[in-house]
Amino acid sequence: MKKAKIFKIIVLLAVIVIGYMVYLWFMPHRNVQSTKAFATIEATNLVNEFLIDNDKANSLYLDSEGESKVLIVSGIIANISIDQLGQQVVLLKNPSDKMGVSCTFIIETNEQIENLKIGDAVNIKGVIRSGAEYDEDLDLAENVILEKCAIVV
Amino acid sequence: MKNLFLTLFMAAISISAFSQDKQSTTSGHIKFFSSTPAEDIEANNYKIISNINQATGVIVFSVPMQSFEFEKALMQKHYNSKKFLNTKTFPKSKFKGTIINLAAIDFSNDGVYEANVKGALTIHGVTKEISEKFTITIKDGKVTGTTEFDILLSDYGVIFKGGKPSTNISKTIKVSANLNYSKVSA
Repeated sequence: MKKAKIFKIIVLLAVIVIGYMVYLWFMPHRNVQSTKAFATIEATNLVNEFLIDNDKANSLYLDSEGESKVLIVSGIIANISIDQLGQQVVLLKNPSDKMGVSCTFIIETNEQIENLKIGDAVNIKGVIRSGAEYDEDLDLAENVILEKCAIVV
Repeated sequence: MKNLFLTLFMAAISISAFSQDKQSTTSGHIKFFSSTPAEDIEANNYKIISNINQATGVIVFSVPMQSFEFEKALMQKHYNSKKFLNTKTFPKSKFKGTIINLAAIDFSNDGVYEANVKGALTIHGVTKEISEKFTITIKDGKVTGTTEFDILLSDYGVIFKGGKPSTNISKTIKVSANLNYSKVSA
C-alpha cells in the first residue's frame, strides 16, 4: 500500500518534470502585437533619448533576455524599402533629423504598407532591438530598430 | 566672382564624388551556425548595417545583437542573457576594417573580386584584430558583399563552464553575411 503511494508520487513528479521540459522546448516566441505597449512615443523623441544618454535609454528599453520593450512610435514616413526576407521596412524620420526609427514589418503585416507613401503620418507598434547612435569612428548613422511591426490606429 | 563660382563648382564636384564613393545597406543578412554532435543551432539577423567606401577601402558593420532570431524561443532568451552575449549591456557588435588589396578590385567593372579585409571586430565588449576574405560582386553597378568566417567564442569572453551549453554549443561559431549595397543618395 505504502509502496503504491510512493510509486504514484514518483510518476506524478516525472510527469511534471517531463511536462515542464516539453513546455520549455516548445515555448512559443513572444507575440509582439498582442503584448501591451510600454509607451507611445514620437520617433524624434525616441531617437533623442538615445542620443542624449545611450546607457540610460538602453537600460530603460532593452531586456536582458532579449524581450525588449514593445513601443508605439508615431512619425512621418521618410522611406519605404524591403529587406532580404521580403519584409517591408518603414523609416520614420523628421526631415530635420539625422536619424530615425527603422520599423520592420512581418510577412503577415506587409500588406498594411501598400497604401502608404512617403510623407504620411503613422503609428507603428513593434519591439525595440537597438537604439539610435552616431558612431563617429565608423562614420555610421544608426537608426533605432523596431521589428515585428504593424500599423496601429 | 569667377573664383567664387570656381570654388562652388569644385565643392559640388567633391561632394558628388564623395557620395558616389560610398555604398551602404541597412538590411544585410548575417547568420551564425553552431554544430555539435548534440545539435545544430542557427540564428538569423536581417538588420545588419554596413558601409563600404570604394575610394578608401574602408568597410564598417554594425549588428544589432537582439535582432538574431532562433527557432527555439528559450534558446533565444539564453543567447541574449548575461551568461552568453549579454545583449542588454552590449546591444551592438561592430567591425571597422580596410581592404588591403583595394587596387585589385575594379568597382566600375562587373565581376567577382576577392577582398582581403583587416580590421577590428568588437563582440560582447571585446575587440579583436581579424583578417578575413570578403567577396565583392559587381553586377550592373550593384555591389554585393559576402563573407564567411569562424569565430572562437572564448576570444570574445563568451565561455561556458560545463552543463548543457558546453556540450550543445560549439566553441567555434561559423558566421556568414550577405550585404546588398546601394549608393548613398544623401
